Amino acid sequence: MTTSPKTRDLALCLLNYEAVSAKSSESMESATLSVYEKLRQSLSVFAGVAAFESLAFRALTQAKSEAPSLWAVKVTEDGSLQGLGEDEPQIDMDKDLADKFPAGDGGIVLIARLLGLLLIFLGEASTLSLLRNAWPSEAFDDRNSEHGRKA
Amino acid sequence: MSTQDKVKINKLPTGVPGLDEIVGGGLPEFSFNIIAGAPGSGKTTLAHQFVFANASPQRPALYFTVLGESAIKMLRYQQQYTFFDPAKLPDSIRFVNLSQVVLEKDLGAVLEEITKEVEKANPAVVVVDSFRTMVRKPQSDMDLQSFIQRLALFLASWQATTFLIGEYAEDELRDNPIFTVADGLFWLRQTAERNSIVRKLQVIKLRGQDSVPGLHTFRITDAGVQAFSRTFGLTARKRNPPSDRRLCFGIPELDKMLDGGVREGDSVLIAGSSGTGKSVLATQFIAEGIHHGEPGIVAVFEERPEAYAERATSLGLDLETPQKDGKLTILYLRPLDLSVDETMQSILDAVQKIGAKRLVIDSLAGFEMALSPGFRADFRESLYRMIFALTGIGVTILSTVEVDESFTEFPFSTYSISFLTDDIIRLRYVSIDGQLRKIMVVIKMRGGNHAKDIREYEITSKGVVILGKRLTNFQGLITGIPAYVDRTDLKEEPSQELEIESKR
Repeated sequence: MTTSPKTRDLALCLLNYEAVSAKSSESMESATLSVYEKLRQSLSVFAGVAAFESLAFRALTQAKSEAPSLWAVKVTEDGSLQGLGEDEPQIDMDKDLADKFPAGDGGIVLIARLLGLLLIFLGEASTLSLLRNAWPSEAFDDRNSEHGRKA
Repeated sequence: MSTQDKVKINKLPTGVPGLDEIVGGGLPEFSFNIIAGAPGSGKTTLAHQFVFANASPQRPALYFTVLGESAIKMLRYQQQYTFFDPAKLPDSIRFVNLSQVVLEKDLGAVLEEITKEVEKANPAVVVVDSFRTMVRKPQSDMDLQSFIQRLALFLASWQATTFLIGEYAEDELRDNPIFTVADGLFWLRQTAERNSIVRKLQVIKLRGQDSVPGLHTFRITDAGVQAFSRTFGLTARKRNPPSDRRLCFGIPELDKMLDGGVREGDSVLIAGSSGTGKSVLATQFIAEGIHHGEPGIVAVFEERPEAYAERATSLGLDLETPQKDGKLTILYLRPLDLSVDETMQSILDAVQKIGAKRLVIDSLAGFEMALSPGFRADFRESLYRMIFALTGIGVTILSTVEVDESFTEFPFSTYSISFLTDDIIRLRYVSIDGQLRKIMVVIKMRGGNHAKDIREYEITSKGVVILGKRLTNFQGLITGIPAYVDRTDLKEEPSQELEIESKR
């Protein structure tokens, strides 16, 4: 079972946010790792480290079946990711951002899986509320844009 | 010190239907409260309702979760309730998990973490769920007491209304420092009785407020916790002064026997065995009220509203039109597992919705059977409270009750509820001339005169029709097996009802 296009769009949307943010701050951190870290911090405050770690482990297990490039990635006890940056292609900030997340990319799959679990457990409205907490300057409104950005 | 010098304690809406009435108008602002009870008793749901009712982006709610239900699962389930508004997350309601701190550190660190979050968010409401899991770790009583004291002081200083949620057994109520510090203590109980679950809420303590004492029934529905005050929310309403107005049945001979009808605001009982026409009388009473512009409620337990209205049609009474016009509500209450207070609340809501002046409960036996077995023991007491509350605001209540036909006794009610009624009309079968005929007598009318006559009646296509004059040629009518007495040679005695008429 793969992630739904809608969840994948939402994952792409978050990666876009972080890629843009990384460009402006000239950060070299991968957008995937950055999105994951924001989710980890926000969800750990909300649900606890153990709860986040469980969710992340489940998401990674699912993602590995879809994206073999994640085979070396691990979730540590505090929920952080290990081994993602090493094999993950970095985003080229000088090209069109949309082209930088090809289908099957491990990072997108992992984030989409994590979001998918949140959507299953919490539903869309509560998940978007949590995302608003992690990305307070961004607008998440599925009614206005298929990618979550306000039109 | 004058009244205006005293500090005014604001009352916050609890968000729980019925609970504001129980706590005396709302929860005191800045109070430090504990919600205690067994697992599954509705503690978290109640706290959520309060949070959703009071949190705002300016003064949010901080909801600390500790070991126990995971926040994700909690939100998953809580959002099924209608009060849950996802738009309030995260600006108005923020969830913070303290499990790690609790597991790895001591109470001092927990307090530090709470302090940090409170200072950051400036919340109006703080919830710690479950507080009990936090204090189960081994620590001295002094540590715990000190922690509670400091937490209560800190949160009050930050002008936060606080709830600590905990699983406690009843025997833990004594000598517990937590309960001593708390301003409010709400205890939720649920017990299994026969095949039903009975949920009760008690406000054991609430500083600065006049809460309604006792155990109040509550239910958890898709709207969350709903509480049913023992006073049915009518404590604040003044009782109407006794009225001299008479409400008639539209049965001329019966109205004469009642000196013009039953007094407005009375509780009337019609007692009789099966088939004696109790429901017919009740229907005529409600239809006559509607005819005079008095909205009515009929609470039925033994037949469906459509069947009730159809039967009325067969008596020439139109109950369909007034239902469409909002002048009549026929409530079908046969839930089997409802508490008596919930059922009565349904009746009260209907009464208040259409401004009913007449209420028929048909019948008390059906009412009792419709209740969860565990609540049947409270039936008479609850009935008393409802009748007192409704008659106090001028609603006239007519209840029917089936009594066993006895040929040695003349009971008014099998429920010993005669004391609840102002007026009693008794219907019974009597064996005369090889026929089973029906007689009617007004047993009592509190505060009014009434005929003492025993009258024969029939149920016709026009309803109850009283026949001829009182039965003077029989003795022992109320035994059901009267003896014929030839009194044709005696001068006819004046009827009691005529005596009444002559006094007018």
